[in-house]
Amino acid sequence: MSMTIPWIVMALYFILVMGFGSMFGRYTKSTADFFFGGRRFSWWLIAMSILATGVGSHSFVKYSAKAFQHGFSSTMTYMNDWFFMPFFMFGWLPLIYYSRVSSVPEYFERRFDYKARFLATIALFFYMIGYISIGFLTIGKALQPMLPDFLNILGMNFNLHGDAGLMNIIIFTAVITGIYITYGGQTAVIFTDLLQGFILIFAGLLVLFLGFSYLGGFESFWHHLPTHFKLPLAHFNQPGGFNFVGIFWQDGIAGSIGFLFMNQGLIMRFLATRSVNDGKKAAAFNVLIILPISAIVVSGAGWIGHAIYQGQGIIPGIPAGIIPMNLDVDEIFTIASKIVATPLVFGFIMAAVTAALMSTVDTLINATAAIFINDIWLPAEKVLIRRSKGSRLQQDDKYYLKVARWSSIVITAIGVVGVLAFKNFATLYEAHGFFHSTLTPPLIVAIFLGIFWKRFTTSAVLWTFLGGSTLMIVGATWPEIFIRPFAQGSAMSGGKYIYISALYNILVCVGVGVIVSFFTKQKTEEELDGLTIWSVDRARWKFKGGKPNDRPGEKVKLRYKIDDSGELARFAVVDMDRMGMDQDDLVYLCDSRAWLGGLKSVHTRAGKPHQEPGVVYITSALEETALFNIKSIVVAEKEM
Amino acid sequence: MLDTAMSELTFARVWAPLIYLYGIGGLFFLGGMLLSTRSKSLDRSTKDGKMWFRILLFGYGWYLFIHTSLTLAALYLK
Repeated sequence: MSMTIPWIVMALYFILVMGFGSMFGRYTKSTADFFFGGRRFSWWLIAMSILATGVGSHSFVKYSAKAFQHGFSSTMTYMNDWFFMPFFMFGWLPLIYYSRVSSVPEYFERRFDYKARFLATIALFFYMIGYISIGFLTIGKALQPMLPDFLNILGMNFNLHGDAGLMNIIIFTAVITGIYITYGGQTAVIFTDLLQGFILIFAGLLVLFLGFSYLGGFESFWHHLPTHFKLPLAHFNQPGGFNFVGIFWQDGIAGSIGFLFMNQGLIMRFLATRSVNDGKKAAAFNVLIILPISAIVVSGAGWIGHAIYQGQGIIPGIPAGIIPMNLDVDEIFTIASKIVATPLVFGFIMAAVTAALMSTVDTLINATAAIFINDIWLPAEKVLIRRSKGSRLQQDDKYYLKVARWSSIVITAIGVVGVLAFKNFATLYEAHGFFHSTLTPPLIVAIFLGIFWKRFTTSAVLWTFLGGSTLMIVGATWPEIFIRPFAQGSAMSGGKYIYISALYNILVCVGVGVIVSFFTKQKTEEELDGLTIWSVDRARWKFKGGKPNDRPGEKVKLRYKIDDSGELARFAVVDMDRMGMDQDDLVYLCDSRAWLGGLKSVHTRAGKPHQEPGVVYITSALEETALFNIKSIVVAEKEM
Repeated sequence: MLDTAMSELTFARVWAPLIYLYGIGGLFFLGGMLLSTRSKSLDRSTKDGKMWFRILLFGYGWYLFIHTSLTLAALYLK
C-alpha cells in the first residue's frame, strides 16, 4: 500500500507534464519553431527552462551519491562555470546568434570547410547519442529501486528486475519521452522545462528541509557532519576517485566549455531567446543564481543521508541501521527521500526528479534531430539535387518538419540501444566521466581556438581531431608515461587517471592545433568576417543586412491592424521617433502581457511609415506567425 | 564506503583547492575578459558594456565569496 501512493502521484504528475508540454505543440508550425521555438522567448523563461535541463543532466541520483560519500564538495561541478562566461557571452553566443547557424557543425563549415564540418558532425552525434543513453540509464536506475520485480498490465507480465528489467523500464520511459518531443518540438520542451524547473527547486529543497526536521533541526544536522565533510572543495589530489585538481580540469575546464560551447541542446535554448542581450541575461542569471541553488538541490538528499547515517541510533527517533552499511550509494537519493517524506510527498519528489531527467533527454533528442536535419539530411539532399540535374527539387518546410519528427523517434530508439554500452560501468559517475573525458577534448579545443584565434587554420582543425585523438589514445594506453607528468600528485583509480586525463587530452589537442596552424595557411580577414570574436560587430551587420542602428529609443505600446498590401510592419512616424527607429531597421513585436515570456511575438523589419500614431500595420501572415489575436496590445522595440 | 581518509584539515585539504580554483580559474577568466574587451565585443565605452563588465567581475567575486564563506563556516561554525 505504501508504494501504491507514490506511483499514483507519479502517474498523475507525468500526465500533467505531458499534457502541459503537448499543449504548446500547436505553436510548432515550421522547423524553426521545432528547433528554436521561433527565436522569440524572454530571458527569464529560457533561464528557468535551462534549470531543468542542467539539473536533469547532472542528476539527483549521481550527485546525491557523491554528496553522501564526500560531503559539500559534491557541489564543485556546479560552481565552477563562471570563469568561461566572458568567452561565452561575448564570443560564442553573439557569433552563433548573428551568423544564424543552426548547429555547431554548420559553424565549422563556415569557419573552416566541409571536411571539418563532417568530422565535427560525427564527434557531436556520438556525444549527443551518448548523453541520451546515459540519461535513459539514469532514469532506469532511479526508478528500479521503487519498482516490484514484476508488473502485470492487462494480463501481460513485465519483468522489472535485473538488467532485463532495467531495459524494460528504459524502453517504457523512452516511449513517453518520444511522444511529446516528437509532437511538440522545442516550444513544448521549453515550456515543459519551465514548469519542471520550478517544481525541481521546490522538490529538492523539500527533501532538505524535511531532512532537517527529521534530524531535529538544522543544528542537529550540522552537528552530525564532520568538519572535512562540510568543506566546499575536495582534497587537492586525493583520493583518485574524487579529488579537486582532477575534477577542476575534467569538469571545470573541459566540462564547462563542453556544456557552454558544444552542448547543442543548450545552444538551441539560447538561440530561442528573443535577442543576444536576452541570451546573455539568461546565461548570467543561470550561472549566478540558479546553479548555486541547483547545487544544493541535487546534493541535499546525500547530505541528509550522511547526517542520518552518522546519527542513527544516537539521535532519538532514528533507529540504528535505517541506512545500511552496505548500501549502493547510487540509491541514497531514493532511500533518504523515502525516510524523511510521507508516501505522498515521496511520490511527488520521485516524479519531479524522474521528469527532470526526461527533460534532459528530450532536450538532447530535439538537439540531435537538429544536427541530423542540418548536418546530415540537408547536405546529403543538396548533393542528390545537384546530381539529379533538375529532376529532384528542394522540398518545402512541412516536409522537413516531418523528417525532424521521424528523426526524433529514430534517435530516441538509438539512445535506448546505446544504454547497452554504458550499463556495465560500476557507477553512473564513472560512465559519465569516461564518456566526457574521451569525447569532448578535440571538439572543445577546435571550437575554442576557432572562435578566439584567427590564426587557427583549416588544416589545424583536421589535425586537432585526428592527431589529437591519436595522442589521447596513446595517453590512455600508457598513462604512467604520458599522463602522470600532468597528474599533479593525483592518484590513479581502477588503473586510470579518471579526471586529470582531461588536462593531458586538452593539452595534446591544443598542442597539435597550434603547431599545425603555424605551418599552414591562415584564412584571410574577408573569409573570417563575422566568424571570430574579432569581428562580432561585422556579424551584427550581416545579421541585419546593413549598418546596425544603435540610437537610443524606447519601447512603445501599440494596437495593430491588418494590411496585406505589401510590407510586413509599418509604424507611425512619431512612434518610430520614440523608438529611435528608421525604415528597414529590425523590430521585435510582442504581446504586451510580459508573463507570456515572448510566446506570442515576432521579429520583423520596419516598412514605410504612416501617420496614424499608436497603430502598427502588419500582414496577416505576420499576425499568424506572432500568434496575435486582434484584441492584442503589442509592445514594439527596435532591435538594431 | 564513506570518505574518512581525507578528514585531516591540512593545507592540501582546505586552502590549496580554493587558491588553485581562483588562481588558475582566474587566469582563464582574465583571458576571457581581455579577449572580449580588446576585440570590442564587450565595448566598455557603452552603457550596456559597462554594465556587463561589472556583472562579469561581480560574478567572479560572488563565487569567491561563496567558497570562502563556506570554508570558514565549515572550519569555525560549531
